[in-house]
Amino acid sequence: MNFIKRHPVLMSLVLFFFATQVISLNLEEKHAGDPFSRFVLLLTYYPQKSIFALTGTVVSIWQNYVDLVGVREENERLRLEVRKLREERFRLWEEELQNKRLKNLLGLKKVYSYKTLSANVIGGSPSMLRSQVIIIDRGKEDGVSEGMPVATHEGIVGRIFLVGAKSSEVILITDEISAVDAYIHRTRARGIVKGTGNGCVMEYIEKKADVSVGDKVVSSGKDGFFPSGVVIGTVIGVESSAGFIRARVSPDMDLDSLEEVLVILKAPENRVANDE
Amino acid sequence: MNRVLPVIFLILLSLLFIVLQSTFFSPIHFGHAFYPDLNLVLIVFLGLFSDLRRGAIIAIGNGYMMDVLSGYVIGIHSLSRLSVFVILKGISQHIYSQSRITQAMAVLFATLFLWGFIWVSLRLKTDDLEFGISLGDVMTQGVVNTVVGLPVFWIINGLYAKVQW
Repeated sequence: MNFIKRHPVLMSLVLFFFATQVISLNLEEKHAGDPFSRFVLLLTYYPQKSIFALTGTVVSIWQNYVDLVGVREENERLRLEVRKLREERFRLWEEELQNKRLKNLLGLKKVYSYKTLSANVIGGSPSMLRSQVIIIDRGKEDGVSEGMPVATHEGIVGRIFLVGAKSSEVILITDEISAVDAYIHRTRARGIVKGTGNGCVMEYIEKKADVSVGDKVVSSGKDGFFPSGVVIGTVIGVESSAGFIRARVSPDMDLDSLEEVLVILKAPENRVANDE
Repeated sequence: MNRVLPVIFLILLSLLFIVLQSTFFSPIHFGHAFYPDLNLVLIVFLGLFSDLRRGAIIAIGNGYMMDVLSGYVIGIHSLSRLSVFVILKGISQHIYSQSRITQAMAVLFATLFLWGFIWVSLRLKTDDLEFGISLGDVMTQGVVNTVVGLPVFWIINGLYAKVQW
């Protein structure tokens, strides 16, 4: 013990060596979801849930007493309705385009519909090393498993990264390790949407493709994680990059202030991209 | 002098700080570098005032919880925070730890050392590293940790003195 106190720099170098080794190991096989990790999720679940409930109660009391209750509720209901109508309009638009394409085809397309599970966001990442992580109050006991997509009515949020008994970690689509196979809704140009830490970029779009600012980006379903036709965001900038087009994409919702999300109960499939 | 109570106090404090860090003080709510790293403040406290064995165990446990909740490579927070602790433990024998200037300097130094350790470790082992944290972010966090964290540090110090007796 005295040796450690007398030679802190040497000890730090030893720890540094271990850190580099740990990084090497984990880069090949990241987060296997070991029992210790699950235990930490369980250990922090109750305090996080209590804080969520406490803040929820305080905020609720504040809003109910200070705001005009009736107006707020009405506003909330109308906002929900507008969201649903927007979603419905978008879906109809999507189906119209799809129908036009399918008229030329003889094959049948199987339409998937998945069950969803609502969840509250009870926490976020404690470190800026990976800040694009949220913690939700649903876990293995609710049927959640690793890789399941998470969304809201406004579009894709991310996917389940680690599952505990009662809570789970979600990697947001804006995180650097996140990637979604997607297409531009208006022109069907394909690409991969990757997180940048504070937004998204759609990469590997063919040079000849038609992409412009304001285009909606939707998931293709080819990556095996996300169902097809779910909104990812809107193109806010286009540039050319090494023989491809690169589009900056802004998610349609504020991912930093999510309160409720939907877990799409769809297990990841082992699919090969470009299997059209 | 009570031997068990300080350990329980530090473990509970570590858990409380992890929970606060992942709820109120999460960088997702505060913006990239503008959040106070309460857990690092705790590590600095351990480095300056607790004994080596219990401090090291709590530092590594705290780092492990950070690893799990941030969804990052398991071990990077644990080892970097243990390293901060070890360095501060070594330095604490040669400085006057009760001085507020020393404590402020220790928090600032710990923030810079921590991110330097993480950056170099990742840089050495990954080819296509996109380290999304700039020197400006680290400096900002150093200042935030020092300003916001220092009162927290004094509160811990006061409570720790009480549970020891």
